[in-house]
Amino acid sequence: MKVVSYILSALLVLVSCATGENSATLLRSEEDLAGRKVATVNGSYYARLLSAREDLQTMLFSQEADAVQALLIGKADVLVSDETLLNRNFRSEHGIEVAFKGKESIPTALMFRKDGVPLAEAMNEVLRQMTLDGSLDSLKTYWLGENYLDDKTYSHIPPEKEGEPLRVISITTMAPIAFMVEGEWYGLEMDLVRALARKLHRQLVIKNVDAGSGMMALKTGMADVMIGCIFITDERKEEFLFCEPYNEYHPAYYVMGQGVRRGGASIWKRIGNSLEKNLVKENRWKLITSGLWETVKITVFAILLGAILGIGLCAMARSRRRWLRSVASAYNWFMAGIPMLVLLLILFYVVFAGSGLNSTAVAVVAFALNFASGASSAYGTSLDAVSHGQTEAGLALGFTRLQTFIHIVLPQAAKTGMPLFRSQCIALLKGTSIVGYIAIQDLTRAGDIIRGRTFDALVPLLVVTVIYFVLAWLLGLAVKLLATPKKNVL
Amino acid sequence: MIQVKHLSKSYRNPDGSSLTVLKDINCTISKGDIISLIGPSGTGKSTFLRALNLLDPPTGGEILFEGENILSRSYPVHKLRQKMGMVFQGFNLFEHMTVLENVMYAPVKILGKTKEDALKEAMSLLRKVGMAEKANVSPSCLSGGQKQRAAIARCLAMNPQVILFDEPTSALDPTMVGEVLSVMRQLAKEGMTMIIVTHEMKFARDISTRIFFMYDGYIHEEGTPEQIFIAEKITPALELCQLFMPVFLIAGDNLTIRLTYNEFSEVASLDFMVAGISSSPLEDCDADILQKARTLSREIVEEPTSKGFRVKFLL
Repeated sequence: MKVVSYILSALLVLVSCATGENSATLLRSEEDLAGRKVATVNGSYYARLLSAREDLQTMLFSQEADAVQALLIGKADVLVSDETLLNRNFRSEHGIEVAFKGKESIPTALMFRKDGVPLAEAMNEVLRQMTLDGSLDSLKTYWLGENYLDDKTYSHIPPEKEGEPLRVISITTMAPIAFMVEGEWYGLEMDLVRALARKLHRQLVIKNVDAGSGMMALKTGMADVMIGCIFITDERKEEFLFCEPYNEYHPAYYVMGQGVRRGGASIWKRIGNSLEKNLVKENRWKLITSGLWETVKITVFAILLGAILGIGLCAMARSRRRWLRSVASAYNWFMAGIPMLVLLLILFYVVFAGSGLNSTAVAVVAFALNFASGASSAYGTSLDAVSHGQTEAGLALGFTRLQTFIHIVLPQAAKTGMPLFRSQCIALLKGTSIVGYIAIQDLTRAGDIIRGRTFDALVPLLVVTVIYFVLAWLLGLAVKLLATPKKNVL
Repeated sequence: MIQVKHLSKSYRNPDGSSLTVLKDINCTISKGDIISLIGPSGTGKSTFLRALNLLDPPTGGEILFEGENILSRSYPVHKLRQKMGMVFQGFNLFEHMTVLENVMYAPVKILGKTKEDALKEAMSLLRKVGMAEKANVSPSCLSGGQKQRAAIARCLAMNPQVILFDEPTSALDPTMVGEVLSVMRQLAKEGMTMIIVTHEMKFARDISTRIFFMYDGYIHEEGTPEQIFIAEKITPALELCQLFMPVFLIAGDNLTIRLTYNEFSEVASLDFMVAGISSSPLEDCDADILQKARTLSREIVEEPTSKGFRVKFLL
């Protein structure tokens, strides 16, 4: 649903030629926001700021990229976000202006677990040293002063290559705080954790998730430090530990500039530009291919494991023992009722929390457990479709029960069950698009990351959609080839 | 070859009650026997047949096959079934194979025959049942009669010592019954031991060496076709004699009784010829005797003869 609305709104960009009605000149302070549609990210500091106002219409998005998109296509009049969010290159390219900056300045720091006092102390020590030798200031000038836009090397503190892992969660993929180029992380806060890692001689393991999942991961001990322009608020201080603030940020109110024509260039040129920007530039297609690999890995292993578990489950469901049947039906009932995402989060944050199993393995297990239920019902249905007479005929000829099942029943069941099994496999493939919630950079998440960098919805989503289509087709073909019994039985 | 002693079978219903289908079956089947199991529906004919190859394992009694108790736990049931073929009412051809593969499959997989040998034998069996030209056709393209003939060929391919037929023609259109029965007749001629559950009475009478008339979970009567089928109609004939002999003996000077048999050695009619009277002796009978006579016979014909009067009961 979300994807559809993205594509629709992206298409709107292509066709709409409306001019921006709300010019920057009319917007000088928070009072002028009255009556306007203001976009921001759900759960953010700004969302709370806006919720206190009843004289404007707040639009809450789950990602910054979506909020920016809303501004670009005219669904929102104003976008409130970090002053670092949209750099000058992006603003001039899309005709966005900063109408004004909020008066409040919000202290910002890296966030740790409550019991992460030594880490936070070490970070404070790092910050003190960097302040003393002036390197913090030069870092801030480089990143916040937008010098990095001219210096394409994205100069950064060299990473520590060895040592115990320091697990970092970034809840943003935005320059200049923390962003990815060609598989490598850069940015101001990324440099700060690198400095910390160097001091502690630990190597960084960096994951990107949304803010909600990130906090959960930090809290349950699956990560050591969280970054991504996290403002120090009283609520957060109750649950987490912050180091000393390294900077104070102001809210920025972005609007479309006066007289900017939306959707000026021809469709083909825009698509061409967009393809270049989203896939070619900074080798972003590599994100797509690595995401694709991750998706394929999870899908294939989950199908294999789930298909095997499904056999056991099906055997239980058809067992003569009543308690085994009850266990199987309870399992199926549970799997039918629980949303896949919830199951995934429970396994990741609760069941396997301290197990050292990596996210991909957890995802494989979660999808396999769910798939087992579907596979088992596919097996059951197709076995039931083979008449009992076939079994009797096999037995009467002198085959053992096992031989009858393998030689007579199974080939016939496979034929009827294959389409059902295939559609379960394809459903699983599509279902894996939620693994981003446990910090796996799958195909969908790769598209999200690119969107986060380019603020362009259409191309990443389109590319991802096309790839899913092709994958589904290939998967269907593979299942059909593997599950269709050979023509010559002898 | 097969000895059945005190065989019983009961089912436990889901509601906890139990249903006894076979109560106490005793019989001996020898090599070359062709046994027809006849009797009303629901009297355990099919259950008895399926108990013999343990598709429906009995709950009591003994079955000895070549002297061995096949109900003992250690007896290899699949080996038994290799020697005891079965033909089903619903054919049960393997739907994912051609007719030829259906016939070849078990000999190759179970007996370990080479494909060449199995193919040769399968083709000769298919020729025997008149299905050679349908060898490479899928069972779904066959008529019921063709399916059943193919199923018989499949069964023969295992070279069984005895074949169990479970209502082999009951699922067929009347026009196709003949082709299946003629294959079975041919098998009988070749000396195959067969046990057949059937409702085709004429066929049973023609083909069987012995007939088991089953009723209420027992073998109610057992005998040659002549014994069974004659007994079936001689009983009413005897009853009619008992009813009318006293009446007719008094009615006339002389009484002659004649039984007429039809082509199947059944009693077809019972004639009473009473000499020396000119009106029907039935006129003097009690109403309840006449009523009884009508239930025992198909038709009652009364006619005067040169010597007296004749009453003919058609049975």
